[in-house]
Amino acid sequence: MLSPAPAAKTTARPTRYRHIQQGMRERLLPYAYVAPFFLLFFIFGLFPLLFTFYIALFDWDPIGERHYVGLENFTELARDPRFWGAMRNTFSIWVLSTVPQLMLALVVAHVLNHVRLRAATLFRMSVLVPYITSVAATTIVFAQLFDRDYGILNWILGLLGFQHFDFTASVWGSHFMIAVMVAWRWTGYNVLLYLASLQAVPRELYEAAAADGASGWKQFRHISIPSLRPIIVFTVVTSTIGGLQIFTEPLLANPVGGLTCGAARQCQTLTLFLYEQGFGRFHFGYGAAVGVALFVMVVIVAAINYLLVTRIRSERP
Amino acid sequence: MKRVITTAAILATAVLLVVGCTPGSGGESAADSKTFEFWSFTGINQKAAVDNYTKAHPDIQVKLTEVGSTTETAQALTTALAGGKVPDLVLIQGDDLPKFMQSPDNFVDLSTLGADKMKGDYLDWVIKQSTTKDGKVIGIPTDVGGLAIAYRTDLFKAAGLPTDRDEVSKLWPTWDGFLEAGKKYVQATGKPFLDNASTSVFFQAVNQGTERYYDADRKLTYEKNPQVKAAFDLSLKIHSAGITSKITSWSTGWTAGMSKGDFAVVSAPSWMLNAIRTNAPDTSGKWDVATIPGGAGNWGGSYLAIPKRAKNPKAAWNYIAEMQSPAGQLAQFLRQGSLPTTPSVYSDPQLIGKTDPFFSNAPIGKIYTQSVLGIKPFYIGPEDATVGSEMLNTLVSVEQGQVAPGDAWNTAMTNVKNALRG
Repeated sequence: MLSPAPAAKTTARPTRYRHIQQGMRERLLPYAYVAPFFLLFFIFGLFPLLFTFYIALFDWDPIGERHYVGLENFTELARDPRFWGAMRNTFSIWVLSTVPQLMLALVVAHVLNHVRLRAATLFRMSVLVPYITSVAATTIVFAQLFDRDYGILNWILGLLGFQHFDFTASVWGSHFMIAVMVAWRWTGYNVLLYLASLQAVPRELYEAAAADGASGWKQFRHISIPSLRPIIVFTVVTSTIGGLQIFTEPLLANPVGGLTCGAARQCQTLTLFLYEQGFGRFHFGYGAAVGVALFVMVVIVAAINYLLVTRIRSERP
Repeated sequence: MKRVITTAAILATAVLLVVGCTPGSGGESAADSKTFEFWSFTGINQKAAVDNYTKAHPDIQVKLTEVGSTTETAQALTTALAGGKVPDLVLIQGDDLPKFMQSPDNFVDLSTLGADKMKGDYLDWVIKQSTTKDGKVIGIPTDVGGLAIAYRTDLFKAAGLPTDRDEVSKLWPTWDGFLEAGKKYVQATGKPFLDNASTSVFFQAVNQGTERYYDADRKLTYEKNPQVKAAFDLSLKIHSAGITSKITSWSTGWTAGMSKGDFAVVSAPSWMLNAIRTNAPDTSGKWDVATIPGGAGNWGGSYLAIPKRAKNPKAAWNYIAEMQSPAGQLAQFLRQGSLPTTPSVYSDPQLIGKTDPFFSNAPIGKIYTQSVLGIKPFYIGPEDATVGSEMLNTLVSVEQGQVAPGDAWNTAMTNVKNALRG
């Protein structure tokens, strides 16, 4: 539609004019191509983002009155132990889920790439099954596995002579439970990413190393990991951003107490706290303030990640 | 980064809708007067009532949506009122009502449709909660939650306790008597007596007072009200006596425990009978109902309201007028057991004579109406739900071993204060 007109038709026009017109088109065309994305981004991304900043300055009841309160929501937030508790929970669940998950993914990818398995494709594909399963279904099943009285984990603990442990009740128990759910879902996804880039590593490297007597661990440590560096950085960044926004698992894992993930808010994450304030109690202003705080946090973490990436890049031979 | 922004914008997107849709901008033009939309809760079998109505009025079509739990329904209603498509008729749970009463302009004043003539039919303190200071009627009460105790006759028998409901009621005229009976049960069987001390004791006892979290002047006084403290301490005392199974109400373990007989007693506001029936269908005939220790009280009950932007308020009102008349509420009670709010039917032989085979033919009409007739009504305010749930949650934390009983009251007060400012 916007492609330059065929030259034959434009010969009548002064060449200079044509030249300018074509130049204009060529310069504008790329913008037209990307415009739909930016239009949608503006409507569904940027505008709501800016509007959230605006709402955060109000005491805003969606069906009642709204008052301008300035930065009061933020000063309240700074003094609100529920907010800091949610912050602690978010980071703790993030660490507990991301670190073991990425390490496990590395090992599994290395094994799938290296060890000669029958039906390798089947194994490679099956690691992705948790990823395509509905989060809600996974969460509900896991919550039952971890149940205090009738869960299979406690049944095993009981068989081994231990007392039943109430995972959902304690801080670490509930964090562990949610971290397991998150890791279960995302490990396979990361395995596939690692596997894809491992397959680009020349086999000769491994063969040469093996010929020189390097063990499997040494090959993993000195060949697999260095060649995966860029993709490791990528997965760290994405799982960090995802980890700071964990929502469905804490929402459904511990329904007792409504939107608080437990009676003592022991596993309420920042996004769940945002949801509780915004859509459970309809304190839109306060909820928006939580959203802004979360945004700032993610920006900071992303900046740190960016610095790490550039450092690692410059370190590369 | 895109995902970040999207999430940070969840809130704002909804607000966008709020701003974007002006009242009355709904696309469909005045729907025909034969159809109306009705939002209700899950788990109370509203469909049966609606089917009954449409059977009597075959020309009327009711579009019933069971939105979710009571809280979820109130949340959906808030979102709808703020800018979405509203139903013509909506059921609001009693604890959620005060929030909506703060902005009565969102609803049709039902006295303009005929509620002024019906007001006298309802328990005075119940209709008062849905009437504004200047006399607008926002909701018509559908039921109240009289209090009682449900117990397992088979387990009581095995423990050497009486099984007859009158004798059982005599065991516990007071909560102390209840505690003693519990100790005897635990001694005899070695198994827990009660499901928990949070919901089954605190939420009952706190509803038996003359004031709850607000005083008569509508000021928040939960912290100073000795009745609230007494109910809280009672719950701690029963917890510390070790007679409960410490299973939180509505958890998966609770429903499983109920059908397996892990505990013999559950506090049962009238609407709880339906929950027991649904959660433990195999225990039919093994339950009975005794009076609650400590006297009259009410927990729960709901209201029907019509949003102002409803397309067909008239049809919705016709439904209310017929189904919530004294005769309508009596019929509903006989069908499903929800306790009428219209005292004129409390002496009706059908209500008095109503027994429930699931609960060993207990005369549930008689038991529950007695528990609401002696009631001393208190003011329920917009923060009641928040205060109540924070206090309850602290008691649950005690039961889960996360808070020491000695610290519980202070923890609860801190949590309530934090929740109230947010």
